[in-house]
Amino acid sequence: MYLEVESLEKRYGHLAPSVADLSFSLGQGELLGLLGPSGCGKTTTLRMISGLVQATSGKIKVGGQDVTRLPTYRRNMGVMFQSYALFPHMTIAENVAFGLQMRKIRKQDIAKRVASALAMVRLEGVADRKPRELSGGQQQRVALARALVVEPDILLLDEPLSNLDAKLRDNMRNEIREIQQRLRMTTVFVTHDQTEAMAICDRIVVMNRGKLEQIGTPLDIYERPATPMVAEFVGRINRLDGQWRNDGAIAVGDSLVRANASGGAGRVLIMIRPHRIDLEAAGEASVGSPEANVVVGTIRHINYVGDTLQYAVATAAGLLQVEKATSSATDPFQPGDSVTLRWKTRDTLTFSSEATG
Amino acid sequence: MLPKIARGVHALSIILILMFLLAPVILVFPISFSADAYVAWPPSAWSARWYVALLHNEEMVTAFRNSLLIAACVTVITLVVAMPAAVALTRWSFRGQDALISLFTAPLLLPSIVLGLAILVIFAGYGLVSSWPGVVIAHLVITLPYALRVLMTGLGTMPSFVEDAAGTLGAAPWQVFRQITLPLMTPALVASAALAFIVSFDEVVISLFIAGTQLKLLPVSLYHYVESWTDPLVAAVSALLVLGTLGIVLIVERAIGLGKAVSK
Repeated sequence: MYLEVESLEKRYGHLAPSVADLSFSLGQGELLGLLGPSGCGKTTTLRMISGLVQATSGKIKVGGQDVTRLPTYRRNMGVMFQSYALFPHMTIAENVAFGLQMRKIRKQDIAKRVASALAMVRLEGVADRKPRELSGGQQQRVALARALVVEPDILLLDEPLSNLDAKLRDNMRNEIREIQQRLRMTTVFVTHDQTEAMAICDRIVVMNRGKLEQIGTPLDIYERPATPMVAEFVGRINRLDGQWRNDGAIAVGDSLVRANASGGAGRVLIMIRPHRIDLEAAGEASVGSPEANVVVGTIRHINYVGDTLQYAVATAAGLLQVEKATSSATDPFQPGDSVTLRWKTRDTLTFSSEATG
Repeated sequence: MLPKIARGVHALSIILILMFLLAPVILVFPISFSADAYVAWPPSAWSARWYVALLHNEEMVTAFRNSLLIAACVTVITLVVAMPAAVALTRWSFRGQDALISLFTAPLLLPSIVLGLAILVIFAGYGLVSSWPGVVIAHLVITLPYALRVLMTGLGTMPSFVEDAAGTLGAAPWQVFRQITLPLMTPALVASAALAFIVSFDEVVISLFIAGTQLKLLPVSLYHYVESWTDPLVAAVSALLVLGTLGIVLIVERAIGLGKAVSK
């Protein structure tokens, strides 16, 4: 493993720790996302890795070498800040050259490397301008070039896309991923946007209240969330309280629901993603199979959001959100329609009740 | 129709206020070119005789030179002391920080006559009255708070994270200061230097207490001169002072304008 974070902790005074008992590691060339709500400690973690914040305890290792007590300027890490943090009194070329000058690189080489770094982010021709003369997207490319030109051991990105408008954000996201893969740059990417993290990260660390909730591939995180917090954070989800029965089914409200998880005892929290539930008009419905849950209900509300239809359906198990892709072939259901809901047992996520928090 | 009248009244009132504020300052210039032996308006004839008289007035020339030197010393020391203090007070965090900031800027709130008297009482015991170091130290008491305020504001409004960014690019703390912090603070440095210079050069009350009779300072000599003479010589001195101050203010304006252009 190339970057190793071991039992990292950060405390400010006597407050609850901002980051506690955090461990994860990255292989060379891997892009790892740190995902979580604001205040979850992801930016503090990034700043500890870069050395801008001193860890209270724990270790940070790069290539096997302990850098925990090394000052920032000796860590050789490229950091891209949310506000870009370009030097306003320097030209674009001077901004990009700064890290090379600090490394005492020869003048001719600096010029060459600055030019190729600017070419890499497709920013030729602005070398002599000042940062304020550039658009937000361009400033961001400069920040990326400045961080990469020094050939850092690790690239750290702190919410790099959140100051861009939506369209630019998608382009930039893919561009960052493309450059990262081309350079095989070991990268940590901090974001609060799960789509962003899912789209480009090899693995994701989901953090909440300073602690690691789950680490895994985007697929793991979405399909097999380790905690209710992760399940709720990475997408819309139905949340119902149930009770394990002796036969392995779960009593939810006045109905029975089955999950693939082996049975348990006592209270259980179940979650189902709205778009994993099928809707049929009542009457067409076939009987339930061992692999599927079937519940009948009545449409209460409809939200039409263009590409999807969001239904709120009252069922014996409780109110369920159901999401369907819109289609020109079928008319949407109307409020008051009787419907049958069907979903696979493996789409019933179960969490033991003490994990609900 | 009505808005037109309103606008006219608005413009007129602005002109009146400006005249009220500036008339005494502007009047000094024609009076300084009076050929009369006393201050009168309008002068009966024009001449540059009072400027010539000023050049031959040994006390005024000495006082002018002394004040200039003192102000220069005070300015340099102010920057040397206030700069690191401002960095410490804005960049570090330690116990009693807010209390220290209040303490350091408190002299701005005290009447200078109180300060002058207090400093006189203390200095008398150490033989500092009427001495160069004494006057410089006394002036520092009022220039430092100004400079500290301006520099702290300058540091506080610096674009966020640029110093951090320099650190991550391999700049050691002193390189960050030299290459990032200092250049970005230049406008604030120029402004606080100009403030310190003007405040020291123009200070009357504290100088009256501390300068005594041996060490001639321009504001004090001017004050004493007006007590016994009423000729346009003071107008000539005033005209020069106004021009000098204007020059410094222009420098600051340029620096601040520059600062606006540089920051974000």
